[in-house]
Amino acid sequence: MSRLVAGAVCLLLAGQAAPAQRLTLGPQFALASYREVASGLRYQGTGFGGAVTARYRKLSADATVLRLTLDPTKGSVATSGFTATEVNAWVAYDVATYASLEVGLIRRTADPEFAAQSVGAVRIGARSFYEIGPGATILFRADYLAAPKFSGGGHATFSLDLGLDLDVRLAGRLHGTAAYTFERINRKTNPGGMGELDAPIQETAARVGLAVAF
Amino acid sequence: MIRHLRVLALLAGFGVPTAARAQTIENAALRRAQQAYDNLEYRQVLSLARAALRERLTGSERARAYELLGFTYGAMDSILKAVDAFKQVVLIDPERQLDPNRVSPKAYSAFDVALRQVLLVRQLRVDSTTFVGGQGAVPIRFAVTQPARVVTRAIGSGRSFLIDSGAWNGQVNLTWPARLANGDPVPAGNYTVVVEARLGQNAFSGSQPIRLSHGMVDTLPHLTSLPGYQYLPETEVPPQSWRPLGLAFLYTGGALIGTLGLESSSLGSSSKRELAVVGGAALATGLVMTLRKPAPRPAAANILYNRLLRDQIARRNQEIERENVARRQQVQLTVVALPKPTGGVPR
Repeated sequence: MSRLVAGAVCLLLAGQAAPAQRLTLGPQFALASYREVASGLRYQGTGFGGAVTARYRKLSADATVLRLTLDPTKGSVATSGFTATEVNAWVAYDVATYASLEVGLIRRTADPEFAAQSVGAVRIGARSFYEIGPGATILFRADYLAAPKFSGGGHATFSLDLGLDLDVRLAGRLHGTAAYTFERINRKTNPGGMGELDAPIQETAARVGLAVAF
Repeated sequence: MIRHLRVLALLAGFGVPTAARAQTIENAALRRAQQAYDNLEYRQVLSLARAALRERLTGSERARAYELLGFTYGAMDSILKAVDAFKQVVLIDPERQLDPNRVSPKAYSAFDVALRQVLLVRQLRVDSTTFVGGQGAVPIRFAVTQPARVVTRAIGSGRSFLIDSGAWNGQVNLTWPARLANGDPVPAGNYTVVVEARLGQNAFSGSQPIRLSHGMVDTLPHLTSLPGYQYLPETEVPPQSWRPLGLAFLYTGGALIGTLGLESSSLGSSSKRELAVVGGAALATGLVMTLRKPAPRPAAANILYNRLLRDQIARRNQEIERENVARRQQVQLTVVALPKPTGGVPR
C-alpha cells in the first residue's frame, strides 16, 4: 500500500513539475486479464488507480498507477490470486501533427512475490492521435518493450505493448478517460540449464475514469 | 407720346434710376432731378442736378447727382461731359459698378472711359480663410484702373508688413503668407490691408480691415479600422462529416487487429471485454462527434488577413502619431475680413 501511495505521489509531483500547458489528473477503475506460461494459468480482476497527463508544446508525458486484484478464472489451474501493482510512464515528442515518438517504462510487481512474474521494461515506440471532435481525442500506440527483467529470471527478445486511449471533455475541466492496453511478452526461461522453454506473458487491461484538467 | 418715349427709354436701358431710389433721396432738388430723369425730361435733369450739387449733400447723394448727370449727358450724346460726370462718381464712390445689362452702351462706355482716366484702387477684397502657418496664404484681390506703382501693406500690432510692391494695372491677385522673416506667423490681432497706388502726382489708396487669430491645428484621430476593410471571423465551422466515426473505427480496429495478431497461441485467446469496453466507448464517442455540430476551427487565411489588416492599421496609426506631433507644433491662422470703411482716399 505504501508503494501505491508513493507511486501516486511521484506521479503527482511529476505532473506538477512538468511545465504543462495542460495537466490532467484523475482516478481510474480498471478491468484486467492476465495469462502466463500456458493457457491454463489465467486470471481476471479489477482494480483502481490514477493517471496523470501533461503537455507542454510538443512534449507530453503520461503516467498511470494501477493496483489490480487478479483471481483465477473459471478453468484456471491457478489455486490463488494475487495483487499486481503496475506503474506505466511515457514521455512523447510530437514529430508530426498527429504522431509522436515515445519512450517510457513499465513496472509490474506481484504480491505474493512468486504468485506471478514481476516485470520491468523500457518502452520505445510511437503513437498516433487525433482530435475527433471538440475536446475528444483518440490515441493508438505501439511500443516495443526493451530490456525486460523478470523476477523469475529469463529473457524476452520480442515483447510488444499496444494501447488505445480516449479522452473526452465532459464539462468544463472534467474529462472522461478510457484506455486499453494489450501486452505480449515472449519470455523464455532456461530452468536448470535444460534448454529454453517458452513462458509467455499476456495481459489486457481497460481503465475507465475521470480526470480534472488544469 | 410721352408714354411712348418712356417705353423707348426703358428699352434703351436708361431705366436704372428707379422710383425707389428717388424715395431714399432726402435732398429736394436731387429728388426732383431723379423724377425728371424718370420722366425723360433731360434738360430739367441737368438744371436740377447742378442745383443740387451746389447744395450740401451727402457723399452718396453727391455721387447720385453726378451719376444722373452722366446718364443724362450720355442720353444726350454729350459723351465727354458724361465721362467727366462719371469721373466724379468713381472718385466719390470707387466701388461703383454699372450693370452692362441694365444701362445703355453709351453710358456704360462713358463710365468705362471715366474709370480709365482716374487712378483708383477698386474692389479690394481679402477673403476670409484658415490655413496652417507656412502652408497657406491670405488671398488679396483688387483692381487698379491705371498702370501704377502699387504698394500693398498689412498694418497692425504696431508694425507694418510689406505684402507686395510692383507695377500693376487691371485685376491684381496677391497672397500674403502672414509670416515673419524668421518663419513664425505674424502676431494675432487686427490688421488693415492697405493698397497704395501711385502714378506721377496722382495717388490713391484702398484698405480692408481684417482680424487675424491663432489657433491650434486639429490633430488626426487614431484609426480603429480601415474604410472598406472589415475584420473576418478567425474561425470557421467545417462541414459535418463521418470522419470522427471513421477515425474511431480505424483506431479501434487497429487495436483489435493488433490484439488478435499478437495473441500467443500457447496462451489461448485472451479476454476481449477490456477492448470491448474501451473500443465501445471510442466508437460511441466517434458517433456522437459525427452527429454533433462540428466545432469551429481556425481559418488560416482569415487570421492572416486580419493580421495584415492590424499591421496596416498600426502602421497608419504610427504615421498619424508622427503627423500629430508635427501638427501640435504648428499654428493655424484664421483670417476674417472685417466691415470695410466706405470709399477710398484720393491723395
